[in-house]
Amino acid sequence: MTNTIAFIGLSDVIIGLSLGSRLFLIAVGLSLIFGVLGVLNFAHGAFYMIGAYVALAVTNSLIGNFWLAVVIGATAVGVIGVLIEVSTIRPLYGRLEGDLDQLIVTFGFVLIIHEVIRFIWGSQPYSVDAPAALDFSVSVGGGTFTAYRLFVIGAAFVVMLGLWVFITKTYFGALVRGTSSDREMASILGVDVPRLYTGVFFFGSFLAGLGGALAAPLQSVSPALGDQVIIDAFIIVVIGGLGSLSGAFVGAMFVGMMQALGPQFMAAGHIAIPFLAMVLVLLFRPEGLFGGFGE
Amino acid sequence: MSTQDNSIGARIGTFGREAVQNGWTRERFTLLGLVGLVLIGLGPSFQVYLFTEFMIIALFALAFNLLYGYTGLLSFGHALFFAGGSYGLAIVIRDLQPTIADALGSGVAPLVTFVIGGLVGVLLVVLIAIPVGWLSVRLEEIYFALITLAFGMLGYSLIVQNPAGLTNGTDGVLVLLGFVELGGLEFRLGDRRVYYYLTLTIVLASTYALWRIVNSPFGTICKSIRESPDRAAALGVDVRYHRWMTFILSAVFVGVAGVLIAGLASVASPYHSHWTQSAIAVVATVIGGATFFAGPIVGAFIYLYVRWGISRYPALEAHWEFFFGVMLILVVLYFKQGAVGGLVMLHAWLLEVQTVYERDGAGAAASFVGDSITTKLRNARDVIVARLRSVWNRLRSIGQRGAT
Amino acid sequence: MTTVLKTENLRRQFGDLVAVNDVSLELEEDEITSIIGPNGAGKTTFYNLLTGVLEPTSGEIWLQKDGELADITDAPPHEVAQSGLSRSYQISNVFERLTVRENVQVARIAHEGRTLDIRSRAANDEQLNADVDELLELTNLADMAEVTCDELSHGEKRNVEIALALAIEPTVFLLDEPTAGMNPTETKEIVSLIHELNEDIDATFVVTEHDMDVVTDISDRIVVLADGAVLADGDPQAVLSDERVTEAYLGSEAV
Repeated sequence: MTNTIAFIGLSDVIIGLSLGSRLFLIAVGLSLIFGVLGVLNFAHGAFYMIGAYVALAVTNSLIGNFWLAVVIGATAVGVIGVLIEVSTIRPLYGRLEGDLDQLIVTFGFVLIIHEVIRFIWGSQPYSVDAPAALDFSVSVGGGTFTAYRLFVIGAAFVVMLGLWVFITKTYFGALVRGTSSDREMASILGVDVPRLYTGVFFFGSFLAGLGGALAAPLQSVSPALGDQVIIDAFIIVVIGGLGSLSGAFVGAMFVGMMQALGPQFMAAGHIAIPFLAMVLVLLFRPEGLFGGFGE
Repeated sequence: MSTQDNSIGARIGTFGREAVQNGWTRERFTLLGLVGLVLIGLGPSFQVYLFTEFMIIALFALAFNLLYGYTGLLSFGHALFFAGGSYGLAIVIRDLQPTIADALGSGVAPLVTFVIGGLVGVLLVVLIAIPVGWLSVRLEEIYFALITLAFGMLGYSLIVQNPAGLTNGTDGVLVLLGFVELGGLEFRLGDRRVYYYLTLTIVLASTYALWRIVNSPFGTICKSIRESPDRAAALGVDVRYHRWMTFILSAVFVGVAGVLIAGLASVASPYHSHWTQSAIAVVATVIGGATFFAGPIVGAFIYLYVRWGISRYPALEAHWEFFFGVMLILVVLYFKQGAVGGLVMLHAWLLEVQTVYERDGAGAAASFVGDSITTKLRNARDVIVARLRSVWNRLRSIGQRGAT
Repeated sequence: MTTVLKTENLRRQFGDLVAVNDVSLELEEDEITSIIGPNGAGKTTFYNLLTGVLEPTSGEIWLQKDGELADITDAPPHEVAQSGLSRSYQISNVFERLTVRENVQVARIAHEGRTLDIRSRAANDEQLNADVDELLELTNLADMAEVTCDELSHGEKRNVEIALALAIEPTVFLLDEPTAGMNPTETKEIVSLIHELNEDIDATFVVTEHDMDVVTDISDRIVVLADGAVLADGDPQAVLSDERVTEAYLGSEAV
């Protein structure tokens, strides 16, 4: 019974940060797209999975360069996102019950992408090697981590910071913020809203692909990946506030910490906690704990 | 081969014409349908199993659609109630069957246990649905979908965690339906044919009950809430309360389907509480046509039989979900009435053909058929071309802007 | 004369903006009162306060129910409707994919407190349908009973609006721009319908209207709102010749 006294070490925190970083990279694009377009993209987890598989394919191909694989993975997913937005989501803006229709259409893509991936790569799990430059171990706080794991934590912080600068300091960011708070007004003021939507959808999808590619060496890459991560992503964006960047960050870290530390506190129940948190936030603070776009 | 087809076609045509001319009423068609359903139970064992599964999924989707198609609330957490019914039955059978056998004798015990288990399952669902529904209907649209998803997955994670040893974690609880001896009758409750007829009875009764509900004043209010909640409120409808009641009713029938699936699958599995199980109801309902009562039934039929059909081609076997993804997207984008809407249109078209045939004879009817098919194909082509062109223009304009 | 609807210092603010500014009104039984005012005068907010869609920042609303005035200030929309206050919408708000008959059925079912009735069948309920038929006859919709609302013309939808508002047998009717977007013939029909209803049933009407001809034709009394407050109130002749009223209108229209 001595185990019941939990001890949170630095290494646990690092594991939590690492899990949270990966979750942030998944959730941030979803949150961005919802914040601006009002579309809840069910296929976002599948997009993340495509990023991981493209990274796998490029790394194992003649090119064999992991960093190039990350760029290609993210861009490919961005392009796929644009194709999907233009062809199937655009006709649903403004339709009665359009929000639910968008959710259902993007769910259709979950099924399609899942099967296409299985068709190409089969059902078996793959692993992707971390880039050689970061393929060594570091001892921190009593735990040993691969340098790549620490790198992904850094990458998540960089993405967060970059997005924050982008949204608050650039012209495009100003358009995004304006459109997300008042679509009609933005359109009256001469913002090309449809074009902006496509741009944001590209960007959000790009982030999903980036997350998938960056996190590929940290997890086994299998067709079940998409279904797993989309639920985590939903939890995170709800807790943080749909459309909130900082919310996505804090939400991701919360869930990451929960996954890392939860089992030490209650062996039977830590899986339920994030869902309970999701329910409570939806009921008492539906705008999220950190509502407000770009905050 | 073709002559045989023709003769079969001719025979079906003659049969249909005679049936109509002899004044075939809706009642007689219903009777015919019931006879058909009874006969299915005598078919090959696998087909009996497949049809039983279809009926259960159909009931699941019908009950889901009371909330979605009729009231306008998309739930992604109905698997919670599906599993609720399953586990209620399974736990009663596991823990109480011996006691009941001691009290009533082992002959009737399996049947009595099944009935009690089913009732407990449905009661359990009601007890869950009352608070979950009360909380969920505070939200609308996407947020309702998200909170039901969260409740569903909360249930899933609790079941997997095996609280108090009740649910047996990821393995689930086995459901063993034993031998019944009742007044000289001897049968195994879990026998595929016996279970088929049991399911048939319960599903038909539930379907009738649901049909009455959607056609009752209660159902009319549901539809008004779907169309315009604020208008309904301005007429004196307590929208939130009505949604709550609809939520509970919907959950009850999902629970009945859950009880039946546990008996069929011989296990109450956490798989039945996962959100992907909820998605099955969504897929079946949307493909079948959410605005029609029969939509979810036809959708469930397509879901199970297309899956079965595809699984017969080894090259496609594992990839049946792909086709449902495509169907889902096409239906939502272009044909919200779904498969039943398609059948209704087909029926109207056949009546037109019949009118032309009776007026101008076979030649005219044939050319009418040819013309209208050509027109329809041309329309479909125009829609597709227009869609592709708009996508292309969009992408080109992005490209041009990107270049400048 | 008995008062059927009363507001006392009714106020609603959105942040610093005062949309409805301490409005106190007493509406008399059987009267047709028009509430007019330039755009942004607070008419819609005032309606939303009366019907419970918005909560007032301060003030009270009283509605006659069973012979005495009852406080409905905090009542949600469905309770307000059940208490006998009914409204039509400026932009037609009907149940689009239901038939005209079903639309009116909804209102009757709600009025009769049968929303939880799952045992009878709406389509075969004779009492229900007799009531519905009567209402459809009254609002010139009898021929369109089985048509779904999304196939109706704009004018016909306005009639459904009125049939719905009427079906819950209100003591007070709020008609929000009943002739909005109608052609002259349709407008005439609606005006005569309002007159007819006012004579046939003991209901009090509150109408907002842009068309001044309609206002002078139907009103027993006119209330002018400007910047959320009552600017003038009384006999149509007196109110319309009031200089302040002309100014408020011209002032806004001159922009």
